[in-house]
This record gives sequence, structure tokens and C-alpha cells, in this order.
Amino acid sequence: MNPASIYGRSFTRQAVKLLRTIFMAEILHGLFLTLRHLFVRSVTIQYPHQRPELSRRYRGVMSLLRYQDGEEKCVGCGLCEVACPSTVIKVVSAERDDAPMKRYAREYWFDLSRCVFCGFCVEACPVDALAMTPNYEFSTTNKRDLMLSKETLLGLGDRYFPEQPPKPAFVGSCESEMYLLSVQQKGYPSKAAQHPVPPSVRATAIKPGSVKD
Amino acid sequence: MEMFFSLTVMTVLIGVIMATVMLHVAWLTYFERKILGHMQDRLGPMEVGFHGLLQPIADGLKLFFKEDIIPSGANKVIFTVAPILSLIPALIAFAVIPFTGGSWRIPEQLPLLGWPVPFIGGMEIHPYVADINIAVLYILALSSIGAYGILLGGWASNSKYSLLGGLRSAAQVISYELPLGMSLVGVLLLAGSLSLKTIAEAQGGGFWHWYAFAFPAPQFIAFVIYLISAIAETNRLPFDLPEAESELVAGFFTEYSGMRFAFFFMAEYANMILVSCVGAIIFLGAWHPPFDFLPSGGLFGVAWLLLKVYALLFVFIWIRGTLPRLRYDQLMRLGWKTLVPLALANIVVTSIIAYFAR
Repeated sequence: MNPASIYGRSFTRQAVKLLRTIFMAEILHGLFLTLRHLFVRSVTIQYPHQRPELSRRYRGVMSLLRYQDGEEKCVGCGLCEVACPSTVIKVVSAERDDAPMKRYAREYWFDLSRCVFCGFCVEACPVDALAMTPNYEFSTTNKRDLMLSKETLLGLGDRYFPEQPPKPAFVGSCESEMYLLSVQQKGYPSKAAQHPVPPSVRATAIKPGSVKD
Repeated sequence: MEMFFSLTVMTVLIGVIMATVMLHVAWLTYFERKILGHMQDRLGPMEVGFHGLLQPIADGLKLFFKEDIIPSGANKVIFTVAPILSLIPALIAFAVIPFTGGSWRIPEQLPLLGWPVPFIGGMEIHPYVADINIAVLYILALSSIGAYGILLGGWASNSKYSLLGGLRSAAQVISYELPLGMSLVGVLLLAGSLSLKTIAEAQGGGFWHWYAFAFPAPQFIAFVIYLISAIAETNRLPFDLPEAESELVAGFFTEYSGMRFAFFFMAEYANMILVSCVGAIIFLGAWHPPFDFLPSGGLFGVAWLLLKVYALLFVFIWIRGTLPRLRYDQLMRLGWKTLVPLALANIVVTSIIAYFAR
């Protein structure tokens, strides 16, 4: 330390700095910080014995729902498949035998190993047939166990959402009508009003067969 | 015949001291994990036993039954010897530690019943294995031999991380042994003895007689230097460069597994207890209570010593929980440019005072 730097600046400040170095003030400060934390309540949740409190809107494994009379809500529209960012869902849609104009999901596959639990499928569903359960304990030693079938998903729905509303009387044969009604119920702005599609696009943009499966 | 029985008594005493030290080593790991956990707002071990109290047993069992791997490129003999060479000096150094004052005499007759005690009746039992007049030198020498275990283990593993860890350890131990030894010299000058028993006995009668605070030459600076060098000597954070996880995987014991790894681990903790014992005996009045009116002597002495040793161990863990690791050049600069000159100055001042005060 040259004299100029001592007398050029405040001498007392230099002395205080020197004393702080000698008595290791910064280290002592750190030591008292850790000592204080010794008496702070720890944040650990002892998991198998204690469970975390989940939000009501917690997004665990997805499930399929039924109406009160036991009929599946899913109409097999495949919007969830489209909405899914990680292509987890595969819907095989078919006409119902008892009502030829109505459709349902003959097969519904859900690959849990790829799911990112974003909940877009639930938001996309026009008939509220999907819901996220609060179940987060699905670890397994066999990766194939994570490929959930329609029956498993319906079982999950029955287990976590046993009370479901009755089938609305107005559900007709027309799915688009149902979709519009649902959109109005949820209070979303209608898609047509939000993004008016110019007439020139309609003819060329979407060709049959251009979208893979 | 007489000698045979006194040897037996001695062996039992050694066994008791060894077992006690090993148990303290085991539960020191629990103590450390608990304190570190709570300092980081965690709980530490909680599953095995009440609040994880049996965790050391579970750890020991696990390590005992682990596969014993010797790398194909390793020097097998030295690889095998190194952990033993590291643990044994740490344990035999406890031979000269006096755990309390006075001594016990085995009664000639059993109390109450009045039966004579055969062979060993009337024998003297000391709270130490040996009271040699070069105890401090003995401990310093053995702690240096412990460094050989680390260095050889690092070399014999035939791995670059291990070798770097071993080299760092050698450099670090050599650098910090100087201030460690020199910080003790002040007390040795004042006490006029190298025997830990004599040094301890000179500190009776209140904490103002302990060498860290004693008039006319309080060795407080020496005590701080001793503490810092002891942390470096035992390769503990913030001086754990030989095993720096973020740089060298696990340092000198990267290639070790199972019981061999456990030997290094136990050596580290036994060394921690050892340096804490020496620190407590030399600077903090050994088995003497801080005030005269408090109970002392016999088992109370052991309790007082234990209290001081655990206070020092807590400081070790506390510092580990607080400070980040030093850079290599910072480590060397602290050792050679701060601690060594300070310790030398302390020796000079103490010897001048001791000359005039005598």
C-alpha cells in the first residue's frame, strides 16, 4: 500500500478496511448467516410420509370422462390429437352402430412417456371429455406400461372424477353445432370472428391427404 | 505373569479407546450431515431410525458389502496399502491423547461383595495409552505419514484425477504443516513440555488459565492459525482441493470403492477428531471446566473434553457449510504469506514475553 493511496483517500476508511480484513469481517458475516439458518424451519417434505398440497388445477395424468349415465363423452373429433405439442394422443374415430350420424373414439391411445402435462388437450376438447387428474405417481419399470389405452383412461376418469353432469338434452347429431355451443359456454371468442379467413386461402391451403394421418 | 496381566489390561484399554474413537467417527458423519442439512434448510438423514440416528450403521453396512474394485492399470500393492496407511496413523495418534486427569485404581476387593479381584486387582488405569514426553511431535509426525496414504493412493490408482488430487494433497499438507506446527510452539514455550498431559495439567483453574486466553501471552492468534491449518491438514472445505468434486471427480479416492473408500473416509473423520482433541487439549484447557466451581475430574473431565472437541468439530462443519473452496494459488498464498509469517511473529513475541515473565 503506497502512502499516496492512504492519504489521498479517507484515512479512516482505509483503517476500517484493514481492520475488517484482520478480523475477517466478511467471513464472520457469512458464518452468522449460516448459523441463523441452522434455526430456520426446513422446507423439506418427507415425501412418502408427507404429501405436498396440490393446486386444485394440478395437471397430472390425463383421463377420459363419462356422462352421468355412463356414456363416454368423447366424440372422437381428434382435436386433442391436433392440439398435443408432443404427439402423445392417437384417436381412431368411428361411427356409432346405434346412431350412424354420431361418432365416438373406437380407440384412444395416450403415450404417457412423452406427455409434457401442458393440458392443451383438455383445453382443446369441445365436449369436455378430458380432464387432468392430480395423479403424479405413475413410475414403472416397464416403459410399455406408460402407453395408456382408452379403458385405462376412462378408469382414471371414473376414479378421480366420479361425479359427472348428466348428458345435456341438446346434444344432437351435429358436432359442429355442439362445438359452437361449447365455445359460447366457455366464453371464448369464436374462431371465425377472431381470424377471418380470406376466401382465397380456402381453396388451396388444405388439400385432402396433405396432413399425415 | 504380572506383566502378562498388565499387558492384558493395556490391550483392553487400547480396544476401548479405539472402539470409542471409531464410534465417534461413525456418528460424526451423521452429526455433520445433520448440521449441514439444517444450515441449508433441509433435514439431513431422517429415514433410518429416529431422525436418522442409525444412518451410520446403514452406511457402514452398505460400504462393507460393496464390490471391491481394483482398476486394471493400478499398482495393486500400493493401491491396497494406501487406505490402511491413511487410516492407521490417524488412529494410533490417539495413543497420546489424555482424555481426563488423574487415574483409576482397580479395587483389590469387589465393593459390597468383598470378593478379592484376581490378577488385576490394585492395578492403575490411566485415561491414556501412553504419556510420552514428545507427544506433540509424535502427533505431527503421524499426521505427515497420513499424507503418504493420500499421495500413494492417488498415484497407485493410475488415474489423472487421482494423481492430481494426490499431488495437491502433498503440496497442501507440506504448506500447512508449517503453520500448524509453529502455532503450537508458543504453547510449548509457555508450558515447557511436549507432553500433552503436562500441557493439559498446566491449564487448571478457570478458562483464563487456558493457553488460548492465558496471561501474559494469550495464544489466541496461534489458536486461530491452528484451526485454519488443521482444516487444511484434514483436507476439509474450504481447503478440500485434493478431493475437489467440481474439478477432480473425487480427487485421490476417485478409483476407490467399498471398504477401501470407507478407510479413507474414516481416516478423514478420525483426523478431524484428532486435530480437535489436540486443539482442545493444547489451547482450550483440555478436561478442565471453564470455571472452578463446576464439577471436574474423572468422567466429568471426559465430558468437558468431549464438549470442547465437539465445539471445535462444529466449527469445522460450520465453516464447511459457509465458505466456498479456495483457488490453488489463494491456498498457497494464505499458507505461505499469511499464516507462516503470523505464526513466526507469534513465536517471537511469545518467547520474548516468556523470557521476561519467567
